[in-house]
Formats: sequence, structure tokens, C-alpha cells
Amino acid sequence: MIPLEYELILSSLLLAIGLYGILARKNGIIVLMSIEIILNAAVLNFVAFSAYKGDPAGGVFALLAIAVAAAEAAVGLAVFLSIYQTHGTIELDKVRFLRW
Amino acid sequence: MFEYAWLILLFPLFAFLIVGLVGRRLPQGGGHVAVGGIAASLVVSGYLFWEVLGQGALGGEVHTTVDGYVWIPGIEGLAGSQAIHVGLLIDNLSALMLLLVSFLCLLIFVYSLGYMREEEGKHRYYAEVSLFSAGMLGTVSADNFLQLMVFWEIMGLCSYLLIGFWYHKPEAAKAAKKAFLVTRVGDVIFLVGILVIWNTFHTLVFDEIVAQMADSGSEGFAALLAAPQLLTIIPLLLFGGAIGKSAQFPLHAWLPDAMEGPATVSALIHAATMVKAGVYLTARSFIFLVPPAALPLEAPTVAILVIAVVGGFTAFFAGTMALTAYDIKRVLAFSTISQLAYMFLGLGAGAWLLTHGGETLGYTAALFHLFNHAFFKALLFLSAGSVIHAVHTNDMREMGGLARHLPITSKVMLVGSLALAGIVPFSGFFSKGEVLSATFEAAHEAPVFYLLYALGVLTALLTAFYTFRMWLMTFHGEYRGQGHPHESPAVMTAPLVVLAGFAVASGLLAYGMNGFGNLVFFGEPHAQMPLVGVPLAEYALEGLTLGVALLGIVLAWSVYATRRIPAERFTAAPSGAFLHRLLSRRYGIDDLYDAIGAKAVAGLARALDWFDRNVVDGVVNVVGRGGLAAAAGTDAFDRRVVDGAVNALSLETVRASWRLRQRQTGQVQTYAWMVVFGIVIVIVLVVGVSWFLRLQRGG
Repeated sequence: MIPLEYELILSSLLLAIGLYGILARKNGIIVLMSIEIILNAAVLNFVAFSAYKGDPAGGVFALLAIAVAAAEAAVGLAVFLSIYQTHGTIELDKVRFLRW
Repeated sequence: MFEYAWLILLFPLFAFLIVGLVGRRLPQGGGHVAVGGIAASLVVSGYLFWEVLGQGALGGEVHTTVDGYVWIPGIEGLAGSQAIHVGLLIDNLSALMLLLVSFLCLLIFVYSLGYMREEEGKHRYYAEVSLFSAGMLGTVSADNFLQLMVFWEIMGLCSYLLIGFWYHKPEAAKAAKKAFLVTRVGDVIFLVGILVIWNTFHTLVFDEIVAQMADSGSEGFAALLAAPQLLTIIPLLLFGGAIGKSAQFPLHAWLPDAMEGPATVSALIHAATMVKAGVYLTARSFIFLVPPAALPLEAPTVAILVIAVVGGFTAFFAGTMALTAYDIKRVLAFSTISQLAYMFLGLGAGAWLLTHGGETLGYTAALFHLFNHAFFKALLFLSAGSVIHAVHTNDMREMGGLARHLPITSKVMLVGSLALAGIVPFSGFFSKGEVLSATFEAAHEAPVFYLLYALGVLTALLTAFYTFRMWLMTFHGEYRGQGHPHESPAVMTAPLVVLAGFAVASGLLAYGMNGFGNLVFFGEPHAQMPLVGVPLAEYALEGLTLGVALLGIVLAWSVYATRRIPAERFTAAPSGAFLHRLLSRRYGIDDLYDAIGAKAVAGLARALDWFDRNVVDGVVNVVGRGGLAAAAGTDAFDRRVVDGAVNALSLETVRASWRLRQRQTGQVQTYAWMVVFGIVIVIVLVVGVSWFLRLQRGG
């Protein structure tokens, strides 16, 4: 059995990669993908602790989170599609209309 | 066991609610609902009366209280504070009154269907008469003074509303106001009387008062012994209410003017029922005039004499005013006052007789007269209404010769007139004779009753004279008005015929019931059949009354029919003309009241106005100026300090928000940076604090 620490380290790495993607990249799609990665880091934590404690609740939550993530990805893609149609770009530093 | 008696009150009350709410949309303005309500009441009252009779009322007495709910609860721990119940008192008197009132109301409501057919606002009329009948039925069945007063005031209100039924006529509006205000004077005195009774007995229930007066251990007994003058004050205060409602001198002025209302209203309220409430009240509170033997106090002679003298005087006084009236309904109004005064005279004489070891004759006679008078006076008013319906005027100078055109009305009115004049065997003869014989008997002890008896006999003469003056001016001779009068429809004449039957028979009816005194009495019933064992003197007295009545009719006949004695010969002499003017102007009493109203009250109003303008307004103005100065100070403070603070605060807020909004770049990733930065700070804090805590604990 894989020790818990390894799984947590992997999860932390995924979080760090996702954060980097969100904060550093300008392309909206990539930011969206980075959010998915962070979500997957969280899901991995659920599964890891579920296996470690022998409690199936974590697995159930993981499944729920995956389903929510799928819906969220669809909504996010739709939002970016719509932004592209109105602004002609999905570069996030160009999309500044949420401002005072 | 008489719980169903509540229905008697509730039926007309429901009729009032229905007609009042939706009467406008019903055919005939909801008149049929009003008739139905009172007919249901009549059925229940009839059954009640039958039950009361069945329980040995002939000679015995039924006396039951039907308890209702607690109206005003007593206050815990407060001495003398008792709950006030709503209840019905069922005894011979109230059962008879309930039957009488509901029967007369029914006949008059039916008559109204014809009389009011053409009127606008009929639903208003029917709603108000239904409420009135509930009020009257409640008055005669109340078991305590407060409840009686409530219903009494409901009647007063309805009287006001109905006199002013044609409120667009200034005279009607004025008459309504006058009736309300004058009776109000009496009502206030009555209210004071009720408060004095409460203060003395700590109860208002008739039965409990009667019991306390005979019980030497009770509170009221002790209070009366401590202050014997209460025994004079209480009946006088109650009598004050009675003279207001029953239009006795000096509060009689409203009744003649009340004739501005429809004739049905005059018949119902101002002849048959409401004005009898004063007599009923005096009869109901007879215990104060005739204290029980257990109470070691002298009877309130002064109060009894006041009642008898007011009665005797008003009878004559109102009778004289009827001599010169030309308005057919006013003649009847004056005669109503006069006949009501007979009842008070009878009550006064009866109380005198009872307190001097006599019998219950006067009390019975007064209520017998009330009973008979209700029928024949309602008949006379409704007949007058039928005449007015035909000729469209109240003035008898424009009538005459109507016997040809109104055959039924003229005959029934003749019956009513004979009853009012007191001709044997019509009902008025019996009761008026009884009242006068009671007065004559009382005179054995107090000679002042001889004077009252003489006034009573003189009034009988006047009554016969003005009654036939009225009948002859209306129906005899040639028609002096315009148009072609026609007889009223059957819906109006049928009640007249029924009433005429009662006007003939109601006097004899009592003899059929083994004497009225066996049905309604105070103390003990008549021991024997009337007309048995009556002394010869009694026949002589009755004969005298009958003789003067016949003389009055003959006089009226020779003045107004054959004109053997021309009326002008009387008015031509200066003294006669003066008398005529005096009587037409009703002894100037109305003028006096008007003067009191116009001069004294207006003068008082002017004085108050001056006081108001100069003193009250002055104070108000000073206070106002002070207020203005204070307001200016406050204003400055408000502008400088309060507003300054508010302005400074808002300005700073605006500046701060300006700086803050610079941070709102619209760059999603900047926000994400802030979020991450915040999370890092939180994590650092949590980890740092927990590390620090562990360090402390671990030492």
C-alpha cells in the first residue's frame, strides 16, 4: 500500500501547479484547466484519507466533487465561449469589464 | 327555564342587521324582513306569556331571572366591586310588556308596508324600527338598571334617527335634535340615580335590591339606615329619567315637535312604546317608593308626592295645549303627554295608598291605563297617518268631511277617540276611572290628592273635548282641502281594524282574566273579582268621570259640528284671545327653552370664546413664541454641530471609498493573487499561533 505521505505530497504538487497556472497564465482555457487540477488535488486528498481510514465517505465525496467539477467545467467553457464571441479574445488581462 | 326568551330580543336584532346591511337591495327596502323578525318575536312572546300565565300567574306571581353572560367582571380585592351580568327578568309585568310591545310593533310594521311604500330610503326606516323594537323589548325585560339603561339609550338613538327620517326638512332635523337633547337631560339624571343605587347597594339587579331592602344584615339595608334621605333621592333621580323619556313637565317640550317624523314612528315610539318606558321604569323601581315593612324607615312621602303632582299637573297642562293645536298629530301628541301623566298620577296615588296601608289599586290602574292607552293611541296615530296619507297635510283646517272619502279610517278613529275620551265600554273608560278612583282614595290621607283628583276630572273633560274637536274637524262638515282623498290600501286598514278591536275590548279583556290586578300587581293581587264588593262611591266616581267626558263631547259637538257656540265668541274677548295665544305658544315654555339656548348658552359661549381668545390663546401664543426661539437655537445647533459631523463623516467615507475602489481593477488574476495572499496569511497565522500555544503548554 502506498503510504499516505506520498499521496499528500502528490496532492500538494498538483495544488501548486494549479495555483501557478491560475496566477501566471493569461489564457482563460489554461486557467480553467488549472482550476481542474486544483480540484483534482482535493479529490485525491479525499480518496487518500478514505483509504487510510477505511471509511467509504471520502470516496463518495470524491465522486460528488468529480460530478460537480464536470458541470463547472461545462459552465466555465460556455462563459469563455461567450466572452470570445463578444470580445474576440479570451486573454484574461484584456477582459477587464468587471471593474469600477 | 325561560332561556328561549332571549330569542324575543334577537329576532328584531337580526332583522336590523339584515336590513341594515343588504336592505337597499331587498324588495320594499327589506320591510318584509323587519315584519318577519318582529312576527317571530311575537310568537315567542306569546308563548312566554302563556307559560307565565300557566304557572299560576292569575293571583300568583312568576318571578324568574334568566342569566346571561358576565358583562363587566368585578375587580378582585376591591371592596364592593361585583360583576355585572346581562340577564332577563321574567315576571308578570315584563311578560305582559313583551307581548304588548311585540304585538304593537308587528301591527305598525305591517301598516308601514303601505304607509312608507312611496318613500326613499325605506331600508333605513326598517333597519331603525327593527333596532328600536329590539331596544324596547330589551328595556322591558332587563333584569338590572344598567342593562335597562343601555336599551333605553338604544331607543333614544332610534327615536332621534326616526324623528329625523326626513332629515332634509329643517324642522325634522331640529325636532330630532330637540328630542335627543331634552331626553338627554332626563337620561343624565337617570344615570346619576343608577350610580347612587350602585353606591348604596353595590348591585344593580332589581331582585337583589329588593332582597337587600328587606334583609337587615345586608349592605344596602345598613347604607339606607345610615342615610335615610337616600330613599327620597333615589326614586326622584329615577323619576328624572322617567319624565325625560315620558315627556312629563318640565321635559315635555320635545314630544310635540317629535311629530315631524312619519306617522308610524309617532304611533310606535311616541305613543305606544318608548314613551311608556318612563312609566315602566317607575313601576319597576316601585320598591323604592314602597319600602318593605322590614325597613324601619318612613316611606319617601316627598318623592311620592312629586310623582303624583307632576302627573296630575302635566295631565291638565298638556290637555289645555291640545285645545288650540291645528296639527292633527300634535293634538295626539299633547294627549299622549296628558295620558302618560295619568299613569304617573296613578303610580303616585298607588304608592301613597300602599305606604298608608292600602291596596295595590293605583299601581295596577296605572299599568292598566298603559296597556289600554298603547292600543287606542297607536290606533289614533295610525288613523291620523291614514288621513295624512290621503290628504297630504297635517293641518286640520284643510280637512273636514273626510268621513265620506275614508269610511274605514273615520270609523276606527271614532272608536279610538271614544276610547281616549273614556266612554263606556271602550277601554279608556275602565283604566282612567281606576286611576281617578285610586287618586280619590289616596285623598283620604292627604288632601292634596283632592286637588289632583279635580285636575284629573277636569282633564277628562278636556280630553273628550279636544278628541272630538279633532275628529269633527277632520271627518265632519265639508272638505276644505284640495284634490280627491281616497281610502288607504288594505295593508294599512287591516292593522287599524285589529287595533280598533283591541281599543274596544282591551278594557273588558282584563275582566275576563279575573281582573287586571290579578295579573299585574305590586305586593298582593286583588283578593276578589272586580265589580264585586265595589262600594257605591266607586260607581259614583266612575259616573262622574263618564259624565264629564260626555259633557266634553257635547261641547265639542256644539262648537265644531252644529256651531251653536261659535268658537269666535271665545277668542273675540281680550282675555280669551290672550289665552288662545298662550296655549298656541305652549305657555311660552318652548320659547323659554329656546331663549335659554339662544341667550344663556350663547352668552356663555361668548364668554368662553373671550376666555379662549384672550387667556387660552395668549398662553398658547407665549408658549408658541418660546417654542420658536428654542427652535431657532436648536436649528443653529443642528446645522453647525450635527450636520457638520454628518457631513465630515460622509466626506471622509467618500474619500476612503475612492481610494479603495482603485483596488478594483477588473483583473481576475489580481483578485486571485489577493485570495492566495490572504490564504497564506491565514495559514501562517494558524500554524504560528498553534505552534506558539504548543510551545507554551510544553514549557
